[in-house]
Amino acid sequence: MSILRPFRATDLFRFNNINLDIWTETYGITFYFSYLSRWPDLCCVQEAQDGKLMGYILGKAEGLGTEWHGHVTAVTVAPEYRRLGIGKKLIDLLEFVSDEKYKGYFVDLYVRCTNEVAIKMYENFGYSVFRRVREYYGSLGMGRDSKDEEDAFDMRKPLSRDPGRRSVRSNGREIIVGVHDVS
Amino acid sequence: MSSTLDRQIRPIYDALETGSNKSAVLACNKVLKKQPNNVLVKALKALALVKLQKVEESLVLCDEVLASKPVDDGVLTAMMHVLRGLGRHNDMIAMFENAYKQQPTSEELGQQTFLANVRVGNWKSAQQIATKMNKQLREDRFLYWSVFSTLLQANDPSTPPELQPVLLKLAQRLIETTSVPSYSSPDRLYVHILVLRELKLYDEALALLTTEIGQAICETSLVCEELRRDLIHLKGLIKEEGDRAEQRIVEKKDRNWLEFISLLDAALWDVTSVPEPSDEAKAAAKERIKHTQEVLAKVAEEDGLKDRSAALASLDLEKRARAQDVSTDPSLARTLAENYFSKFSSKACCYEDLQPYVLFEGDELAKWTSFLESQRSFETLADLQRGINVLKLLRWNLTTDELTPELELARAKDYVKEYLAALPFGKSLPDTELQPADDLALLAGETYVNLWKLTNDQSHLFSAASILEYASARSKQSYRIRLLLIRIYHLLGAPSLALEHYRLMNVKQVQTDTLSHLVLTRAATFSLSALGDITYLSECMDSSQIYMSNSQETSEFISRAFQMEKYSQIEDIIVFEDRLDNSLQRDLMKIEHVRMRLAHEQINADLVDMELIELKFIFDRLHHDNRDFSIIPNYQPHSIPSFNEQTLPFGKIPGIGWLTVFLKIYIKAFQLASDLVESVEDKLLIGDRPKPSNDPENKIPLNERLAKKKEEEMEELTPDELAFYEFASALSEWLAPYHDYARPPPSALLAEAAKQNELKPGHPLRNITPPPDATNGSSKKDEEPPTVKEAPEVVSKFFEEMRTRFKAVAEGSQEPTELLHLATLTQEAFLVFTIETVRFKPASVIKQNKLNGLTPAFKEVRTKAVEVLTEISNELIKIAEQSATREKRDAFIAASKDVQAESGFDHDFVLGVARKTTDAKKHVLEGVGKGIQKVLKNHA
Ligand SMILES: CC(C)(COP(=O)(O)OP(=O)(O)OC[C@H]1O[C@@H](n2cnc3c(N)ncnc32)[C@H](O)[C@@H]1OP(=O)(O)O)[C@@H](O)C(=O)NCCC(=O)NCCS
Repeated sequence: MSILRPFRATDLFRFNNINLDIWTETYGITFYFSYLSRWPDLCCVQEAQDGKLMGYILGKAEGLGTEWHGHVTAVTVAPEYRRLGIGKKLIDLLEFVSDEKYKGYFVDLYVRCTNEVAIKMYENFGYSVFRRVREYYGSLGMGRDSKDEEDAFDMRKPLSRDPGRRSVRSNGREIIVGVHDVS
Repeated sequence: MSSTLDRQIRPIYDALETGSNKSAVLACNKVLKKQPNNVLVKALKALALVKLQKVEESLVLCDEVLASKPVDDGVLTAMMHVLRGLGRHNDMIAMFENAYKQQPTSEELGQQTFLANVRVGNWKSAQQIATKMNKQLREDRFLYWSVFSTLLQANDPSTPPELQPVLLKLAQRLIETTSVPSYSSPDRLYVHILVLRELKLYDEALALLTTEIGQAICETSLVCEELRRDLIHLKGLIKEEGDRAEQRIVEKKDRNWLEFISLLDAALWDVTSVPEPSDEAKAAAKERIKHTQEVLAKVAEEDGLKDRSAALASLDLEKRARAQDVSTDPSLARTLAENYFSKFSSKACCYEDLQPYVLFEGDELAKWTSFLESQRSFETLADLQRGINVLKLLRWNLTTDELTPELELARAKDYVKEYLAALPFGKSLPDTELQPADDLALLAGETYVNLWKLTNDQSHLFSAASILEYASARSKQSYRIRLLLIRIYHLLGAPSLALEHYRLMNVKQVQTDTLSHLVLTRAATFSLSALGDITYLSECMDSSQIYMSNSQETSEFISRAFQMEKYSQIEDIIVFEDRLDNSLQRDLMKIEHVRMRLAHEQINADLVDMELIELKFIFDRLHHDNRDFSIIPNYQPHSIPSFNEQTLPFGKIPGIGWLTVFLKIYIKAFQLASDLVESVEDKLLIGDRPKPSNDPENKIPLNERLAKKKEEEMEELTPDELAFYEFASALSEWLAPYHDYARPPPSALLAEAAKQNELKPGHPLRNITPPPDATNGSSKKDEEPPTVKEAPEVVSKFFEEMRTRFKAVAEGSQEPTELLHLATLTQEAFLVFTIETVRFKPASVIKQNKLNGLTPAFKEVRTKAVEVLTEISNELIKIAEQSATREKRDAFIAASKDVQAESGFDHDFVLGVARKTTDAKKHVLEGVGKGIQKVLKNHA
């Protein structure tokens, strides 16, 4: 049970139950507004019946030529609402809009190499690792596995405009690039 | 630009870009030496100075640049940032309008002028400019800019109601005369529909949305889809929408809860659409409900564990049917709840999901309870979540009869036992994960808090703190455990520990607005600012950063959304900006800051004048309460107050009423103490005056507003705050005539300010010229001085009464927060008294104004105040001494015995918590006690 609706500026007053979780970063207001003022249709929330926010996704569309794609910038679900398919619904929507409206070739996202839950989930959804990006993230500040913690996987999933699956590759985990090589 | 100049100017830009503002200033100076009239460099220097917070110096340059009426792109851009930094939006508009006038064909200037108006919400001017640009440049974008600004103007509260339809019609005409259809983009369609909706032209609006393109847009644009739903409701097409929803749910497998709501609305429409439904209507509804339940049952079965929408919708439908008296089966609600539980009890949200649907009574409640009890098990990890849901749901339905101290104590022990037993299930999880047993500790903590409420025995709070600290150490990422601890430590008089947990939650950015109330509510009570400890002062400053970012950055996105033509976001961003700018928490924090500052600093004209101006602005605001209390977990039964309510510091949460009272107190006090009168104040202002809200209150003269006492405002005060309020109002009423008499005339003041001005490098007080009749403040008075009266009783008795109150608590419960509250309020009264008597401190003032009687009257109040405060201070220090002794720690440990009993919960751990808590309590009691001495010394 969840209401799918557009992400609104005023949701920033209400996303504490989601953002106090450590995997979810809270950015300055300009970060959220730069998404909302450009790609409002790629930003949405799932809300519970009692008005509590359950999760949200923020995305954008970018790239030139066959690199034109939808990008998942942040997707997160409050701990108490996990494993209910909320994350899936959010990503489904972003894929759908990237495909139907933006006509992108693929959808991609970055994820910490240590975030096993998320990586497994994306693989289930048809994403695969396209490359590993060194030191993409700041440290979580926990001091363990710090390499993996700061590196990101760039994961991709082709959309209907890429029937030949040219936007993905099978040996992505071995392809390592620096943070300056990605946009 | 010549290349030499370019070579000179490039480094300035580079320095600005990298934030090396000092070197930017130096680079500017170098150029200005040779070319003192280079406007661009002046503008850039002004910018660097603003960034360095050198407002006064920057103002001079800023004025010079503006006076030159710039049109150059680089100058305008630099000035845009300067003026934004100074909060001078109106000057920015004037600057762009001027430039645009000089180059009326410039698209860039037209846009900038439009956007400058947008940033301050000048919709009318914005609309005029957009219309002009559209005529000139024939670009649809400008047409939509004009339409949307018209719409915003129509919706602006300051627009007269009779003008609204005219504006809306205008907007409609504009859209419908363009050759490009509105469905060329979702956001344009959105604007079109919005206009039609406001004009109540629902059929036209729906017609647009049901075209093939309209439908396609709704598929991918949630905002348009939202409008469509809204229109359906306005048209009353509930049943049609229900049919559509059924189709979407069954065929398209749409699981958006909004579809289920439509389905349920339709099922009940026969009885909800009329005030008194006939029997036929009821029968029809029953029929449709039955059908809907069947549909839902089928979907629920299909979805299994994948999606809980249909199962929940069944529960909701039955609940609504009951409310409308068309339910056919008295035990259906319970059966559905049991089914739901059986299916989803392994999910954490099962409890929240079921809460509204299980408010059973009598026999049904008994059956539900025994069902739940039959489900209780903590054998395996898989059982754990279910077990937790069982305990939470059982607790939810407890009646007051079942909430005796004995039964609650037994429950608390049970929760602790299960918690400790379940801990091993999460042992191998990395410390980035939450522990699966956490909620059992939360249940235990809340139950101990309820025990404290029931018995008034603080030792239960010790138990709560012990178990929750234990849980927090095991589940470091659980902010929910910390939330409970924050509240409990405040109650225990250990605010520094609360602050520690708060900081570990890593609250930042906009969260400081919604969450800082956790530690900053009435923070002056806990602050040791009098001793120079600025912990809370800086916490206030840090938490206030977000308001600066908001006023500097948010409006930029309103203009960006215009540029990107994402109209659907604009109103929300405007609302956001307003809600944050006029946030209640912001100004509650401001008041705390003032209170702490007064104990920390010297009271002089600078402080008084600055705070006076700022507080008066705040007084005109219409506040929004953005504080998030829902984040605080609640596992108390529905028959008693929530955990949040139970643990509110001082039992009352300050709201708009509280804020208003404290504003009145301090505005009045500063107003008396200050030499500023309104006419002078205007000239001292740097940025724009904020737009006062449209509240009719704001039209009443200030002094009348300040004197008004309102019941609903006073209700938000604690009894002791109320006493302080009475004291402060009586004090200012008593002293006002003497201040008014002794205050130097405005002319003298301006002369003084002008003189100061010439001495300074910049001249910030732009509008000041010495008035002709300036004398040195010793103007002869025509009137006789007012007769000096004795202090009113409320004032003269106040300190004695506070002594009595304090003694009662010190000899009774010794509740630490209560002691601190009384001590700090008494100190605050003394400080307000000091503010309002500072003017008369020099003997010459008394003499000149022939107010000799005031001196002994002040002395009497003062002496009493000093005597009482000294006693309170000594007493606090004494109690502090006794609070961190071994005995107190042992008492803490003894009280937490239940928590330790029958478990491996170790004694040393509890000892650690006991030590921390008692030390923190000692620290604050002693600090406040010593702080009072310091304050007395400062103002001796
Ligand atoms: C990642 C996250 C968004 C998943 O949200 P969610 O709503 O729980 O995900 P869903 O319920 O839609 O799960 C979809 C599938 O992902 C997989 N999955 C999700 N969480 C899992 C977990 N903890 N363990 C194993 N698999 C998991 C499962 O295959 C699941 O399908 P299933 O439940 O039918 O088996 C959520 O865990 C989260 O917010 N984490 C913190 C923020 C974050 O890491 N974001 C990703 C950064 S790129």
